[in-house]
Amino acid sequence: MTLKSNLTSEASGRLARLLIAKSIAETLLVGTIAVVFFLTLFPPYFRGWGEATPKGIAGWAVNQSEPWERVQVQLFIDGQLAGSSVASGSRPDVRAAGWAVDEWHGYEFQTAGLVPGEHLAQVYALHSNGAGNRRTLQLLGDPIRFVVAADGGFHEVR
Amino acid sequence: MTEATDAIPADANVAPLAGWEIVSVVSSLLIAEWVVLVFVGRSKMVAAIPVGLAFVFMFCSHRLHRETLKEIGFRSDNFVPALSWLLVPTLIAAAAILIIGWSSGGLRFGLIPARPRFLLLPLWALAQQYVLQGFVNRRAQMALGTGVPGVVVVATMFALLHLPNLPLSAATFLGGLVWAWVYQRAPNLLAPAISHSVLSLLLAFSLPPAWLNSLRVGFKYFG
Repeated sequence: MTLKSNLTSEASGRLARLLIAKSIAETLLVGTIAVVFFLTLFPPYFRGWGEATPKGIAGWAVNQSEPWERVQVQLFIDGQLAGSSVASGSRPDVRAAGWAVDEWHGYEFQTAGLVPGEHLAQVYALHSNGAGNRRTLQLLGDPIRFVVAADGGFHEVR
Repeated sequence: MTEATDAIPADANVAPLAGWEIVSVVSSLLIAEWVVLVFVGRSKMVAAIPVGLAFVFMFCSHRLHRETLKEIGFRSDNFVPALSWLLVPTLIAAAAILIIGWSSGGLRFGLIPARPRFLLLPLWALAQQYVLQGFVNRRAQMALGTGVPGVVVVATMFALLHLPNLPLSAATFLGGLVWAWVYQRAPNLLAPAISHSVLSLLLAFSLPPAWLNSLRVGFKYFG
């Protein structure tokens, strides 16, 4: 036995349109939430670069939405956290190139103690949302592939 | 559309539409539980949007189906028969919860005065029973007919909304079977709401909180 419905053909058409409208509204809601969430946690404002130097990994990081902010950066080597720092060293070349409003955006990590062989370094900008309860990492520049020689010196692999 | 066309029954469309209606309402509640809480945190204002959409939709659907409050289950004439159908299973479930709670040392009814939000439990239970029985059960009966398939659909939807809390999902599946079965025989919402309130209160204050993760469901279950 089926429960009797008083749905007329016109009402069934209206019901179908209502279901479609509700689906569209929910799709827009979920899409909006996803975009706002992404922009809040992964704002496209961080710029930076890193490279292997004779002493370690060095580069610069800028938050273009807050150009006076000193960006917190983290170094990962071979997928493991290897250091954390604030990009506040002097990099006049960064300011001269127009990436920053002042020169104090450089960072440098010492990487002593690595075993000889090829390694992969990645430098990330650490970003917190407004409430401070969610933190994300955004890769600055490209991953840096470098080789540590047996005598401890190392060079970047291009 | 003419008056004559308006009077044509649309039985052929009712079953698929009723199924779509169930999916639409349940998906709104899942969006609130899983998507909004994941992305927006505990913002109740944003979570209220999909829930509000579901309730607005259900209101419009009742109007289009020309269902009355009495048909939906807001009535008193069949309250006693409905309650009598529910009495035995509710007492058995309550006794089982109390025995398990007592043997596990989980009884803590002294906390009830410190949790005034539980005063709203009857309203919360009535709202849930309205969605499950007054809407999902009625649409399931339109789509699948009165009987076991519709009852299982209601219980499954109720359990789905309590994932990933597996013990609570299992409990709500069993409760959903009983409440849906009784509603199909005596379509009354007040009786299952009372049964639901009593059992929810006992679950909340009888079993160790870790067993049911403090009754958390959806993304909130994880934190």
